[in-house]
Amino acid sequence: MRTPTYLVTLRYAAAIFVTAVFMFPIFWWTLTSIKPTNAIFNKDEVVWFDFEPTLINYRVTVMGESPSALTGGSTGSGTTMGTGGENSFDGRRTIVDSIIIAVGSTIFTIIVAVGAAYALSRMTFRGNQAYLNWVLSYRFMPPIAIIVPLVFMFRDLGLRDTHLGIILVHSLINLPIAVLLLKSFLDDIPKDVDQAAMIDGATRWQSFRLVVLPMIKGGIAATAVLCFVFSWTEFLLSLFLTSEIRTLPVKITTFVTSTGSEWGFIAALGTSAMIPSFIFILLVQRHLVRGLTMGAIKD
Amino acid sequence: MTDTMASPSENSRSKTRGEGKFWTMPRWLTSEHSFPWIFPATATLIVFGLYPIIYSVWLSLNRRHPVTRENEWNPAWNWSRVFADERVWDAISVTYMYTFVAITIQLALGLGIALLLDSDRKGFGLMRALMTLPLVVPPAVTGMMFLLMYNNSFGVISRTLQSIGLLDPAKPLLSSHETALWAVMVADIWQWTPFMVLIMMAGLRALPKDPFEAAAIDGANALQAFRRLTLPMLSKIIAIAVLIRGIDLFRVYDYVKVMTDSGPGTATETLTAYSGTIYFKSANFPYASAVAILTLVLVIITANIFIKVFKVRF
Repeated sequence: MRTPTYLVTLRYAAAIFVTAVFMFPIFWWTLTSIKPTNAIFNKDEVVWFDFEPTLINYRVTVMGESPSALTGGSTGSGTTMGTGGENSFDGRRTIVDSIIIAVGSTIFTIIVAVGAAYALSRMTFRGNQAYLNWVLSYRFMPPIAIIVPLVFMFRDLGLRDTHLGIILVHSLINLPIAVLLLKSFLDDIPKDVDQAAMIDGATRWQSFRLVVLPMIKGGIAATAVLCFVFSWTEFLLSLFLTSEIRTLPVKITTFVTSTGSEWGFIAALGTSAMIPSFIFILLVQRHLVRGLTMGAIKD
Repeated sequence: MTDTMASPSENSRSKTRGEGKFWTMPRWLTSEHSFPWIFPATATLIVFGLYPIIYSVWLSLNRRHPVTRENEWNPAWNWSRVFADERVWDAISVTYMYTFVAITIQLALGLGIALLLDSDRKGFGLMRALMTLPLVVPPAVTGMMFLLMYNNSFGVISRTLQSIGLLDPAKPLLSSHETALWAVMVADIWQWTPFMVLIMMAGLRALPKDPFEAAAIDGANALQAFRRLTLPMLSKIIAIAVLIRGIDLFRVYDYVKVMTDSGPGTATETLTAYSGTIYFKSANFPYASAVAILTLVLVIITANIFIKVFKVRF
């Protein structure tokens, strides 16, 4: 049975249209990041391609150059920019902070989660299923329910405005996902494999380290990527728990002020924030569905 | 829940370990026992998850003294105010409306797009990969993207709608009562419809071929096959996807905070946003905690009803 050509064409047209609609905001955002100020803030008409591409927005936000030196003092939207002072749009420190936090919480999460996942997959202990549900329930907890106490706890523990503090709360958010996901990868490996090692005299730890761990390397990598992305994009907890250290999503929102928003700078830093996510997510396409559903649906 | 016991079959082996040593590790500290395996994760969840929740409940049972700003024990104070607070009821209705409408649209669009893109023809693989990109844009950045595109004087969406007469330039999308919530929701739908697309696609790919061939032989058309075969066979996956997405929608914060900060007035104020507003604007931490705990309780009740009705299992 052959599908008529016009139906195939129609399907292509519809698919391309839908994809284009979903790509448009990202496209427009990236386009904005290379527009000069007068093209972004043009109130007469929307400027599509009729502009001189510029890297000024990136030079200010990602390379930390002074905006007044680059634009000759005028920035278009009416925002008052400190004359000669510190460049408040410099995103370099924020990028470093975000990387430290995302990498740190990923490493912590994986180390802590892989143990719990192993126990859930390989050992029988009382309350096994209840423990699994208890871990899972944290995935669904609204972060707002813990944020006020966390602010107090962090103040008392000296964790406020520290990388370690944010690393720990991001790990809390990522743990349930990581435990369930790693468990699903562990469940894919036949139990005979590591039991054989233990029958041959290996301890559980040895059979885990030498037999099981090498077999779930791919699963760990996929889980790590997802943890990184979730930490990289997290907003609420970082917003409440920091004022000096800033992750990228929080920093970007501080560029919006009541007197005007520096859309060029926002778009440039925002585009920079999306790039690592895009690269990582394309790397784990194969495990994405499993990751997003915490192993409930295997692709 | 963390009460642990290894299976008896492992006992004999572990007893022989550590022979001849000055000190033998207690069995529950060895790798044969589940305790060391689950302890780090459990401790993290208790210290940074369970304890703050209990702390939050305790806070909500305190009254913040208006002058001294000290917390004093007064269990009924905040809770009687919560239920008398019109903003709480508004926030509840905004939250449920937002969740219900957004999940319906995301599911319908997700299923439709999944059916559309589920093809092995050239180019569809690329389009499927592109469709996943919105998922990993930081939600705060998504909010900013739409904030820019909605700008009443130079935003591409607003200007285009104005030029074809669909939008009154005197009524900016995000600062009009009638449109603000829907405009925020569009950002959510843009970001998370791909989640549904991906999951539905996985479901479609896993469907057995035979029933569809049998139905075709019996003369069923595409629509009948979809209603009688595809939907029922996808129901389990749909239930899981709706549960995960629905809970995330219920606790929405990022888009609201970035795009409207609950405005205009309280038109887009969800429960999480209201709790955040109390925290930032009046610093009444016990009351903010009460609203936050209310959010948690509503999530638990709603999710459990859903799980019971649709028999979801992880």
